[in-house]
Amino acid sequence: MTDLVAQTSHDQIELVSFRIGEQEFCVDIMAVREIRGWAPATPLPQTPPYMRGVINLRGAVLPILDLAVRLELPATEPSARSVIIVIAADNRLVGLLVDAVSDILSVSRAAIQPTPDVACDRVRSFVRGLMSIDGRMISQIAVDRILPDVEAIAA
Amino acid sequence: MEAIKATFFQECEELLADLENGLLALQDGTPGEDTVNAVFRAVHSIKGGAGAFGFEALVRFSHVFETLMDDVRSAKIAQTPPLMSALLRAADILADLVEAARSGGEGEDPRTHEMAAELEQLIAGKGAVAPVAVAAPVPTESNDPDFGFQPLAAMVFEDAPPPPAETVWSITFSPRTSLYANANEPALLLRELGRLGAMTVSLDDSALPDLESLDVDGSWLTWRISLTTDRDEAAIRDVFEFVDGDCDLTLSAGTEDAEPAFDVSALLAAIQSEPVVVSAPDPEPEPAPVVAPPVVSAVAPPAAPAQPSTPAAPPADRGDTHGFAPQATIRVDPERIDRLIDLVGELVINQAMLAQRVSECGLPPSSAVSVGLDDLEQLTREIQESVMAIRAQPVKSVFQRMPRLVRETATMTGKQVRLTTDGENTEVDKTVIERLADPITHMIRNAIDHGLEMPEARVAAGKPAEGHVRLAALHRGGRIVIEVSDDGAGINRKRVLAIAMQKELVSPDAQLTDEEIDNLIFLPGFSTADKVSDVSGRGVGMDVVRRSIQALGGRISITSRPGEGSTFTLSLPLTLAVLDGMVVDVAGHTLVVPLTAIVESLRPRPEDVRRLGPTGMVLAVRDDHVPLIDIGCVLGFRTTPPAPHERVVLLIETEDGARAALVADAIQGQRQVVIKSLEANYRQVPGIAAATILGDGRVALILDVDAVVSMRRRDAGRPLDPTLIAAE
Repeated sequence: MTDLVAQTSHDQIELVSFRIGEQEFCVDIMAVREIRGWAPATPLPQTPPYMRGVINLRGAVLPILDLAVRLELPATEPSARSVIIVIAADNRLVGLLVDAVSDILSVSRAAIQPTPDVACDRVRSFVRGLMSIDGRMISQIAVDRILPDVEAIAA
Repeated sequence: MEAIKATFFQECEELLADLENGLLALQDGTPGEDTVNAVFRAVHSIKGGAGAFGFEALVRFSHVFETLMDDVRSAKIAQTPPLMSALLRAADILADLVEAARSGGEGEDPRTHEMAAELEQLIAGKGAVAPVAVAAPVPTESNDPDFGFQPLAAMVFEDAPPPPAETVWSITFSPRTSLYANANEPALLLRELGRLGAMTVSLDDSALPDLESLDVDGSWLTWRISLTTDRDEAAIRDVFEFVDGDCDLTLSAGTEDAEPAFDVSALLAAIQSEPVVVSAPDPEPEPAPVVAPPVVSAVAPPAAPAQPSTPAAPPADRGDTHGFAPQATIRVDPERIDRLIDLVGELVINQAMLAQRVSECGLPPSSAVSVGLDDLEQLTREIQESVMAIRAQPVKSVFQRMPRLVRETATMTGKQVRLTTDGENTEVDKTVIERLADPITHMIRNAIDHGLEMPEARVAAGKPAEGHVRLAALHRGGRIVIEVSDDGAGINRKRVLAIAMQKELVSPDAQLTDEEIDNLIFLPGFSTADKVSDVSGRGVGMDVVRRSIQALGGRISITSRPGEGSTFTLSLPLTLAVLDGMVVDVAGHTLVVPLTAIVESLRPRPEDVRRLGPTGMVLAVRDDHVPLIDIGCVLGFRTTPPAPHERVVLLIETEDGARAALVADAIQGQRQVVIKSLEANYRQVPGIAAATILGDGRVALILDVDAVVSMRRRDAGRPLDPTLIAAE
């Protein structure tokens, strides 16, 4: 692992790719703290639909975000294969519920293309860029943008 | 070095607190040489430490301060109110300089110079000493992990040519073992001595045994000093004040101009009787390891007074019987304690999980496993309590900051204010202490700025010109209560109501009780100050205080009597880490209701449940009718409430004293739960105070009872109500 990191030059970026339904996405591996299996979450009242609830992560309360709903896709039906990707951003930990983790990719930054103007503005802002790997299209998620807003309290 | 510096600043904080307490005690007319001495020592120690670290501004200022205190101590200057006020302000500046030194700057500003000049003036008339040259850097042997014995030829100070009428003093200075054991450093003492005049020092190492028979912890060296100075004997003795009892010191006036009235034999007798008696019961069981003195030498001056200042402190600690006895304490990094508390919290959860698994296995309660588990539970609880006790601290640390605030606010507003404090030793968890400072600051500022009248108005109203603000802490019903009261004019209800109506915070035809009007000041955007002052009145005042306190599970209220003053009462849980709760089921969810809010739980009879209006329901409890609130509906877990009489009802009381009946499906039991923040990784959720982790490892939510009640009120579309808005 250390060797791998050492060889990775500044132009290379490592990504964890995962699936939601038919689509493939990825996040920067540096933001990922751990990947764990699905455990039932305690729902929170009065929260946006993409908030799945909270789980116990070794004594800390970890909010779980259904990335599918956040991206305006049909909600994830959690199964034994579903996983939670624990990411750290903004000094917070958040779990992303996704269907399955597929791979760890090493791609050159130059290979990431800008998001085309198809999706709605909000969803577009969640996607940092696209890349093509073995003929599959993978969207890189902008981790800092998908986090729930801290200030706005849902009424 | 950084670590030693950090220690120095920690010491400084304590010394500054001692200083301020001492000065306040003097101001209140508490007599006593001990108090004056404690004040002097505090300044002296700060100066000593500052010199060792080369904080020049700090040394310069503390030197002037110290000189003045010396004169006060020797009664050359009378303790008058103007003097006390100057000393208190000087203490504030000293605190600023320490803070500046800590943050890396020098922190000297015109204020410092003005204050120093003022102090100089007070000293003047008696040949004030010009600010002394800054202390030399710490001798290099500080880093030498060997004996701290340095080449003493280097310690000769010849910066002052002897003016006429100086005396040559012969001083013999033999440290005892205890001097080193108490982390004192002869070099620093000698350097301090060198400031009094030209001196020559010679080392007498004749007592030093051969290396093989050398007891490394022993004290073998004696210094003979010849000092030419115009200062008197007391000034020389002051240098050795902190090692009094830890050394043998002889002092004799030399050849030139010996003072005629000087009685050497009496002096010698005094010297011999005094230090020996004091040093005899040396509490140190064994001397410090040999490496200790050089390593800590740099902080020796601040470290030394820790013991001597202790007996002097009680006058500052008026009326309190405990808390100031010399106690053996250790400093621990708070992060380590927090980690320990987290771990214990997890231990509690794990223990509960284990117990649940075992009971699921159907083992009889008398089985060895069950009995062992019971013991484990007992132990776990005790560990948890002990660990929580580590973090409990007296509120003193917060209260101590307030006298200065009062002085500054009083100066800014032109009012005369006297602050008294009560219950400083009331203990509360560190997490709470940290959050207390801001609300208290705000309440005190508010009391002075808005509560107290100007001196003329007070006199006209037949009150003393000096206003009185009282700050008190006490334990009440498992909570800590902080009261800030003033003897000012009280709340002008007419004006408060008029402003609230003008700002459309209440409807014009609202009928409010006096209490409700008083509490209008907690509304967001409410400010009665005619002008925005530096002190308070930006309109972000009390509503922010109230919100931050509610976020901690606290309550704040105000009572006021026109013409007699107002009292803010703030109550907070003793700890923010654990909570006694009732675990209930609501619509398939497990929730925890804080036990402090619950008055009683009951199973209602069908005839006690009555409809009120289209959707409202009330419950008859004895003679009262309280609104029935279905928790599940308020939180959005279900839309239609089931019949209340098939469920359980928790009768609760909110912070403003209103009662409500919360409907839950079933009660699981009562449990102490560890509070976990939702905000740490997510954000505040309406109706939910925090989360916790239950025995099965799942997260359960802790209900915010007040929020639930006010959410229900809002849902019911009631007219605007102050308590409702403020509670948001």
